[in-house]
Amino acid sequence: MNYTLQFGQVTPYLWYLAGGAWIALQLAVVAFIIGWAIGLVCASITEYGPKPARIAVRSYVVFVLNTPLLVQIFFIYFALPDYGILLDSYDAVLIGLALNAGAYMSEIQRAGFRSIRREEIEAAETLGFTRVQSIRYVVVPHILKVLYPPLSNQFIIITMSTSIAAIFGVEELTGRAYNINSITFRSLEVFSISAVYYIVLTIVASTILYTVGRYFFRIKGSVF
Amino acid sequence: MPYLEIDNLSADYGKVPVLQDINLAVERGEIVSIIGPSGSGKSTLLRVLTGLLKPRAGSVAVAGEKLRYDSPKDLRRAREKFAIVFQQFNLFQNMTALRNVTIAPTIVQKRKAAEVEAEARALLEKVGLSHRIDAYPDEMSGGQQQRVAIARALALKPDILHLDEVTSALDPELVSEVLDTIRLLADDGMTMMIVSHEMGFVREVSSKVVFMADGRVVEVGPPEQIFDNPQTQRCTDFVSRILRH
Ligand SMILES: Nc1ncnc2c1ncn2[C@@H]1O[C@H](COP(=O)(O)OP(=O)(O)O)[C@@H](O)[C@H]1O
Ligand SMILES: [Mg+2]
Repeated sequence: MNYTLQFGQVTPYLWYLAGGAWIALQLAVVAFIIGWAIGLVCASITEYGPKPARIAVRSYVVFVLNTPLLVQIFFIYFALPDYGILLDSYDAVLIGLALNAGAYMSEIQRAGFRSIRREEIEAAETLGFTRVQSIRYVVVPHILKVLYPPLSNQFIIITMSTSIAAIFGVEELTGRAYNINSITFRSLEVFSISAVYYIVLTIVASTILYTVGRYFFRIKGSVF
Repeated sequence: MPYLEIDNLSADYGKVPVLQDINLAVERGEIVSIIGPSGSGKSTLLRVLTGLLKPRAGSVAVAGEKLRYDSPKDLRRAREKFAIVFQQFNLFQNMTALRNVTIAPTIVQKRKAAEVEAEARALLEKVGLSHRIDAYPDEMSGGQQQRVAIARALALKPDILHLDEVTSALDPELVSEVLDTIRLLADDGMTMMIVSHEMGFVREVSSKVVFMADGRVVEVGPPEQIFDNPQTQRCTDFVSRILRH
């Protein structure tokens, strides 16, 4: 094998790739926020809702957890138009990521609800807290602390999953790397540089998440 | 007129009757201990008194004033008079020792933060924890957590302190530090209702011992009577079984 690395041919595209990383990050953040909200609603319904709603929610969650993300987005992008729902590729990917993350975050947040310590609420009650006060001062801080690490992980997973958008022609980080590859044919250089971008992206995100976790929730941990 | 008067109090969980016709009087400054086999309703009695469980019948009066259990507002008023400490400490895990003690006076009684904090520091010093003021519950031993829980209960300046098996979840070597704290409160004249299996301690601090079985008060008397000369067969059996080991 006598392959000579020629990063020179790729360097003109570094900013173009950085722009792709920015789009990937946006996609991840928006999908995470929507998925988190979906997950919160689904977890509440699963734990406290009426039976028919619970069955509907469980069907969605079980379906999503047991099918590949790629198939889910194919369905949204290629099959929904048959029912008159036409989405551009960015929106289809965003919705797919959010619905997928929603199912995972429903399971995560259910675990959070279940970890509520009845005894602490009782202690608050005997100290004369109102219901709102015990939720505000006891329940919510506890749930946030329990949920913070798994939700942080979920965010990192979503960030990686955004690369699927390339298949649908969305020009995020992987899509742009693919474009550069077809111009320069320097595959090794292009994809190793895009890998570095992903690593930078997730390390920066993890560092921020860990710092917030340590400061606000006393969660011990480090990026490495 | 006794300070606390429990009159024909009954309570149940669902259909199962747990307390039946409890009558008990407690004078100010008295220390009343409740003993009895597991499942006899000791915790339930304290739960009713501290407003965690609504009684089915009967009444509780403090200084001649009947407590009302109907509205949440009435309940909150009752709870300011009655503090309780549980077997499992039940500290707020997301708060430091100091915050555990200051939170109720601050948000329930809406008192000034500086004043509340000064009192909380004094309370934590009293229970021997001035050096652990900024520690979180998961950074403290069981004995330390239980002493914080006692300080937290005292922060609202309750008229009566209820202690439900506060040493039962502790390693043996940590029991005495909590008992010492309770002795301090006894010396201050704090009115207390104590559920405990530490018979030596009960005998030492109690002005009155209540023996319960099957949701009823079976015998009440000074510790000498209950432990040395019980008047009922059930109490005799219980005490002889307990004191044998
Ligand atoms: N939350 C509950 N629901 C139903 N029954 C209960 C509950 N708590 C206690 N009991 C029952 O009430 C009775 C008295 O319990 P408890 O007051 O805890 O007794 P003790 O503290 O003397 O051991 C027991 O028979 C127990 O099984
Ligand atoms: Mg009990």
